[in-house]
Amino acid sequence: MIRVLIIDDEAHVRRLYDDLLTREGFEVISMACPHKALDVIRNQTPDIIVLDIELEGDSGLKMIEKYKAENSDLPIILNSAYSTYMSDFKTWMAEAYIVKSSDIQPLVDKIRELTGQKRKYEQNRK
Amino acid sequence: MSNLYTPVSSLDRFNFGNGSLHDSSFGIFVTDESGLLQHLNEEAARILGFRNANDALEYSLHDFEMNTNCGLSDVFDNILAGENFKKTEHRCTNRLGHYAVLNISLGPFRDDGGGISGVMGTIWDVTESYQRKVKLEEADYVMSVISQVSEALASAAELNDVLRIILTGVTANQGLGFNRAFLLLINEEENMLEGKIAIGPNSSEEAHEIWSNLAGQHRTLLELLDDYWETEKNSGFPASSGIEDWKIDLNKPNFFAAVLESGSGIIVNDNVETSSESSKIFDHLQTESMAIVPIISKGRKLGIIAADNKITGKKITNTRLDLLQIFANNSAVAIEHSRLYDKVLERAKELEEINCQLANSQEQIIRAEKMSVIGELTSSIAHELRNPLMVIGGFANLMISSGDAGENAEYLNIILSETQRSESVLHQVLDFSRASRTSSREIKFNALVKEAYDYFQTKTKFRQKGIYLNLSEESAKVWGNPDQMLHVLLQFIHLTAEGMTDECKAKITTHFECNKVRLTIEYTGSQQARNNAKKIYDKIFGSSDGTQRMSLIVAGETIKYHGGNYGVENPTNQGPILFIELPAMKVSEDD
Repeated sequence: MIRVLIIDDEAHVRRLYDDLLTREGFEVISMACPHKALDVIRNQTPDIIVLDIELEGDSGLKMIEKYKAENSDLPIILNSAYSTYMSDFKTWMAEAYIVKSSDIQPLVDKIRELTGQKRKYEQNRK
Repeated sequence: MSNLYTPVSSLDRFNFGNGSLHDSSFGIFVTDESGLLQHLNEEAARILGFRNANDALEYSLHDFEMNTNCGLSDVFDNILAGENFKKTEHRCTNRLGHYAVLNISLGPFRDDGGGISGVMGTIWDVTESYQRKVKLEEADYVMSVISQVSEALASAAELNDVLRIILTGVTANQGLGFNRAFLLLINEEENMLEGKIAIGPNSSEEAHEIWSNLAGQHRTLLELLDDYWETEKNSGFPASSGIEDWKIDLNKPNFFAAVLESGSGIIVNDNVETSSESSKIFDHLQTESMAIVPIISKGRKLGIIAADNKITGKKITNTRLDLLQIFANNSAVAIEHSRLYDKVLERAKELEEINCQLANSQEQIIRAEKMSVIGELTSSIAHELRNPLMVIGGFANLMISSGDAGENAEYLNIILSETQRSESVLHQVLDFSRASRTSSREIKFNALVKEAYDYFQTKTKFRQKGIYLNLSEESAKVWGNPDQMLHVLLQFIHLTAEGMTDECKAKITTHFECNKVRLTIEYTGSQQARNNAKKIYDKIFGSSDGTQRMSLIVAGETIKYHGGNYGVENPTNQGPILFIELPAMKVSEDD
């Protein structure tokens, strides 16, 4: 099962993603603190991260670098209410940028697409 | 001299040779009944033109009359009959041809018995005092003329008024009394003298009419100058006509150029040999003699004044030439003042425009600051709303897709639909807010319209719509925020396309009018389609659709913020025309 790590400081958003992605057949780990997420990356090896940008405590853009340092193959989807960050070069380190919307389907599709590529890449490497 | 004989008892008492009359400052003499001089003092001898009194003895008063022509011969017999004769300030020459101004008094000379035995006279040489008097009168006249002209000039600021007053002073009988006067100013770029103004009649008939009219008015020079424009209107000074077309090349030798070169005035006559250019001037003016003086201010040559007596033929004296030069000097000052006045006016106008621009800029800055604050505020609110909307819509979606909605499915669909609509409005607001962060700059308007059109064409949904572009060939720029302006154009094109039916077409046109650029979106196609278009715009501008209304408000405010305007026109027999107008910038030659 594909393991998705949700990092968002809004509890209701986390709850929505938990429920929706679980129904879509994903295993979901969600948390508010971007720093604690480093432990999860190390210990629970998520397949993909869905990362908010404006987080309490730190910026998602700042954390991408740390997550990639931990695991450069780990795909990251930036998921923000702001579309303005698209022009920020730091977002280029992420695999995708999806603006938050009540229509969650684009996010689900992107998770499937990126994790599918990842699986294929890993199989080829083996 | 009215009673010569009363204080005199005999000739001895006069004692001409050595007595009190010998060195008198006035001349005294006595004749016999035939008019031959019998006694005279040294001064009388000098005035009559003799070395001394003895040489003059036996000289006849009738010879004196021949030189002085004072009318003495006619009255000589009357004097012998007891009458007196008096002549003051009589201008004449003596027997040696020397000019003198004399006061002459003659009366009967009586002997001791009371009988008239001859004529006794006194003669005063008043030449010097007369000349002083003449000079004083002339100076008084000059001062009076200059004073009145200066007074009239003080109330005039416009160059044409100033020049007319000066030439009126030159030609008025109460002024310098020239028949005609012409004023030409230098065009420094072309090194030409150009006719500016002329005053005076062209023929004797005109002169008679004009001068009779003026003479009947009995006005002072100042009164005449104050009403110069009325005088001119009533009198009609035809010399003015065509003066503006008169040009004289200063590179070719002519007496106007010579006057400017030398810096001093001259009197020229057409009987002296002149250059071909000078002859042309005489021909042009149809005159035989004229006075020409330069107008120079602080060493800068401004032009010339020429004046003549074409009608009366009166000789132009050097005194008049000097007076004309005084007028020219006054003209120079007045022309300089007038030019300065024009410059001040021009500068004041520029300052007024700059002030106006400054006020507009300040207003725009204030608006920009307000817009910036509003932009930040709306951006902040929009982002804060986006998360809750997403959560609400997301859970509604979840409940619908899970099949747990039951009888609430309709309500959940409404929640989902309204949430999505709200998200769309937020999208508009955030787009505008993002655009407001871009700084303003020059925008090539046609390029911007093309960009919006191309962007619009990338959307499959609208690609099939019959919207065509018709850009002006002229180039123009507007000043503004390119992102905001692009957003505006996209919004208007989008709104138009949204309302179009299949049979309807639309044409986007740009053109440039004085200081503004104008974009129109015009519905074309069949009459039915055009009628429908009216409804489309009515729908758009009266839309109760929150998304459309918000788009229109944002786009409209952006246009106004950029100093523009927008609206819908409904010309007869045409479809409605949506228009946007923006202030155009001046396009440089590089563009």
